Amino acid sequence: MLALDLLANGLIYGCFYALMAVGLAMIFGVLKVVNFAHGEFFMIGAYTYVLVSLKLGVSPWLALPGAAFAGALLGWLVERLLMRPLYASYASWGFMKDEYAVVVTFGLSLLLINLVDKIVGPYSFRGPPLVDIGRFAVGPVLLTGQKAIAAAVAVALMVALALFIKRSVWGLQIQAVAQNRLGASLAGIDATRTTSLIFAVSGMLAALSGALLAPLVNPSPDIGAFPAVKSYVIVVLGGMGSIWGAMIAALILGVSEAFFSVYVSYDYRDAFGLVILVAVLLLRPQGLLGEKGREV
Amino acid sequence: MKIRAHWLAALSVAALASLPARAADPILIGVSLTQSPPGSVVQGTQVKDGMEIVKDLVNAKGGVLGRPIKLVYEDNQGIPEKGRAATEKLITSDKVVALAGGHQSSVCLAEIEVAHRYKVPYVNTNCWSDEVRKRGYPEVFNTSPYNTLVSSTMSTTLAAMGVKRVVAFAENTDFGIGQAKLTGEMLKQKAPQIEYKFETLDRSSKDFTAALLPLRANPPDVIVLSMLPPAAYLVMNQVYEQGLAPSPKTILYDGSSLADYPDFWQNVKEAGKYMLSFALYHPQMKQPPLANEVAAEYKKRTGNDINRLVLQAADSLELVIQGLRVANSTEPDKLINAMRTMKFDSLRGVSGFSTEPGYGYQQWLEIPFVNYELTAEKQPIGQTVMIQAPGQKFDPTKIIRPTK
Amino acid sequence: MKPSRRLWADRLRFDMAAALAVCALLALVPLVVRGPYALGIVVVSIYFAIVALAWNLLAGYAGQFSLAPAAFAMIGGYTTALLGHYAHVPLALGIPAAVVATALLGWVLGKLVLNLSGPYLSLTTLAFAEIARVVIGNSHEFTRGDQGMHVATLTQSRVGYYYIFLGVLVAVLLLLYALLRGRLGRFMMAVRDDPVGASSRGIDVVRVKSIAFWVSCAICGLAGSLYGTFSQLVSPELGLLQQTGLVLSMVVIGGMSSLTGALAGALLVYMGSEWMRAFGEVQTIVFALLVILFARYLPGGLWGLVAARQRKGAP
Repeated sequence: MLALDLLANGLIYGCFYALMAVGLAMIFGVLKVVNFAHGEFFMIGAYTYVLVSLKLGVSPWLALPGAAFAGALLGWLVERLLMRPLYASYASWGFMKDEYAVVVTFGLSLLLINLVDKIVGPYSFRGPPLVDIGRFAVGPVLLTGQKAIAAAVAVALMVALALFIKRSVWGLQIQAVAQNRLGASLAGIDATRTTSLIFAVSGMLAALSGALLAPLVNPSPDIGAFPAVKSYVIVVLGGMGSIWGAMIAALILGVSEAFFSVYVSYDYRDAFGLVILVAVLLLRPQGLLGEKGREV
Repeated sequence: MKIRAHWLAALSVAALASLPARAADPILIGVSLTQSPPGSVVQGTQVKDGMEIVKDLVNAKGGVLGRPIKLVYEDNQGIPEKGRAATEKLITSDKVVALAGGHQSSVCLAEIEVAHRYKVPYVNTNCWSDEVRKRGYPEVFNTSPYNTLVSSTMSTTLAAMGVKRVVAFAENTDFGIGQAKLTGEMLKQKAPQIEYKFETLDRSSKDFTAALLPLRANPPDVIVLSMLPPAAYLVMNQVYEQGLAPSPKTILYDGSSLADYPDFWQNVKEAGKYMLSFALYHPQMKQPPLANEVAAEYKKRTGNDINRLVLQAADSLELVIQGLRVANSTEPDKLINAMRTMKFDSLRGVSGFSTEPGYGYQQWLEIPFVNYELTAEKQPIGQTVMIQAPGQKFDPTKIIRPTK
Repeated sequence: MKPSRRLWADRLRFDMAAALAVCALLALVPLVVRGPYALGIVVVSIYFAIVALAWNLLAGYAGQFSLAPAAFAMIGGYTTALLGHYAHVPLALGIPAAVVATALLGWVLGKLVLNLSGPYLSLTTLAFAEIARVVIGNSHEFTRGDQGMHVATLTQSRVGYYYIFLGVLVAVLLLLYALLRGRLGRFMMAVRDDPVGASSRGIDVVRVKSIAFWVSCAICGLAGSLYGTFSQLVSPELGLLQQTGLVLSMVVIGGMSSLTGALAGALLVYMGSEWMRAFGEVQTIVFALLVILFARYLPGGLWGLVAARQRKGAP
């Protein structure tokens, strides 16, 4: 049944999109800036996974933490070197924070793409699958072992993230800083360190998303473009800064894109998500689950 | 041309011979190709490899007209506008005597305009779109396969297979859409009872399942691919994952000669098994000695078996070099004249440009081809199963289907 | 009140004078440089300068941080191309049509984002730009998609095109100067710095934003249309987000909120990236690093350095 196929595929891809977008949601929630280099975290994760497992010959399951580490490191570095001026105010950008963030992350994106292209080469690689199970049927739906396992891992990661945010001390600090930076630091929370943590987690999640998708999309240096735009749509749809919102929005986007592209128009399916983004921003800017922001 | 016997000797003399050669002004030949996305980088690399080998072989023997050949590269990224700018730079700023290496039809179409405006010879290495020929520019020499050839072959093949429904996936470029459309038109002439439709896919997209899922309910008998890497590999993987092709019911038929790219197997793995391929190179084809030399050198440099694109690139440069020798000059109009009228034996055993207007304008019409089927992962081309050997008819009974 | 007004007018005049000086230098270039390829490089950098100035008006002066300038240039180019191809409209009408079309769409976009600010505004304009590019790029039957459409040309002479572009650049500069010198310019900057405060003083924020949008988009459309006639080809690649990023970088490096900054930034960045071609494939890496360093350490751009010195010298 076509509809079941579409639903299944939509949900699976939705899980991957969710993993990609959740990190972006966190950054949005805290800094309210557009990160042009988010897709490149995804790309770096995918490449780390592929290279570690192919060149170092380790099991793909061990390559996953490698990708996670690479993503976390990159996220931390980006925050430390490039993002700090936005709030530590030792640069005179003043009212032009958004411009700064866009330009700096655009430059970063260009830099990462071309560095990888130069160092690794422009050929694409199909990432090794986590399990060797090929196609198998679940009822009328055809899946591959990789898709099923990767989706399961993605879901597990998101559950872990949700628990982390809700229950752990750091998670509470993250929530506090996202709600009100000044208030949080008045309460004694080190906002700068928390922001570092947020970037590292965001990078890690995006990188893991890239690693999980590596066997499906054959990473090449420019692969970051497609997850990036989807992530923006998801984050806006879900509500800036809302992690649950991003997860739900991702699933909705995955499924509705699948149905739209088959039943309405295949050629314009990329525009579909963007139209949703515009509609949401105009009609319900806080998205599904976001709060209307409070300023100090 | 008995080069082989003297080649090693020539190489050892090259150290001495290269000194006076370096003192002479090199002859510049411009090469605009894809070295970064969104174009097909793997294609660009093959073209570069092929031309470098011929250039080195020729320079080792003293070059042309007493001068070494120098290739000037520009990256057009597979974008027509960049190709236009690159070609203009090569002609007006670098002052190349000829251009070669064009391998993406949409870019070629923009580049030949520039070559035509400045009246500089342009050798079409691998742009298949008939439109390139139809413009009728005397500066353009088409050594590349052309869509009419490929489509007429493919439509004959499809008709011979005796199937009922065919679906083609074409990339959104002049090559892909051109091939898919033409194949459909010709198929209607040869076998009107076959239902054919094609779907255009965005070559920079990563997920094609939306286009594939509707086919699962009622899979066609043949899925045709008119796509280039990297999108082609993704489509193959996803077609395989959905259980569509290759399957006992559905044949996967490749119209772009994908299987001999060096990165083919590492990207498709088990999805490439049982793929039927229209191909322009097979070891069983007659190869002149120079082709064998180029193949050996290519294997030595890259560790990969020779493929048709490397030979096509080598051919393009050989054409220019021979043209320079026959014209005995680097003047563009003399060079064009020489290339048009001289007798030239290419690496693929073809010679003589047709002068018919339309798709055959200044084109090698009789380019040899085969149809073969891949029957095992990582299978070298030489071990594939010949469904249509060179010069023979297509034999559908030879097609092997998977059992599951 | 009076001293601060004079200060702004002084700064603007100095800015404009510098910009015109750059244009005068550009006018002399064809006397020294003859090669059509090199002239072509300067022509393309002038194209970018026009787009950069347009974006600078919208973002630098009016504070509307749009991510759609390249998309509007693309829309302008395609308007001319489509009219020429399907309705055989000559360029004399095709180019103004592009300006009108983009002005209208720019006005629509302005209306859409009226109540948005910050990242919301940027994302909406980004979505608009991408929708335009996807629609144009995927309508194969209509626009030939990725392969682009052929456009007629104004003149075969490379030098002729050079002066056409230079002329348009000067015209755009004069237009912007007139706009900024008057009250509208100051209203824009008020809206940029403090929209709530501005409206509380009676400034019609809606009108100011609208004007900024449609003027900026119309200039982008004009630039795109002219560029299409110059290269005789328009393709969706014109509207890539990457191109917008390039424009942004030019203005940031040159100096936001200044005419000369945008102009000089565009010229330097584009000609610089061309010059860096000599370094082979590392050129993009070097350029990307420069963008990051400038954004991080020189927020006022190059013009910021010049302006600071000028301000020090003022009484």
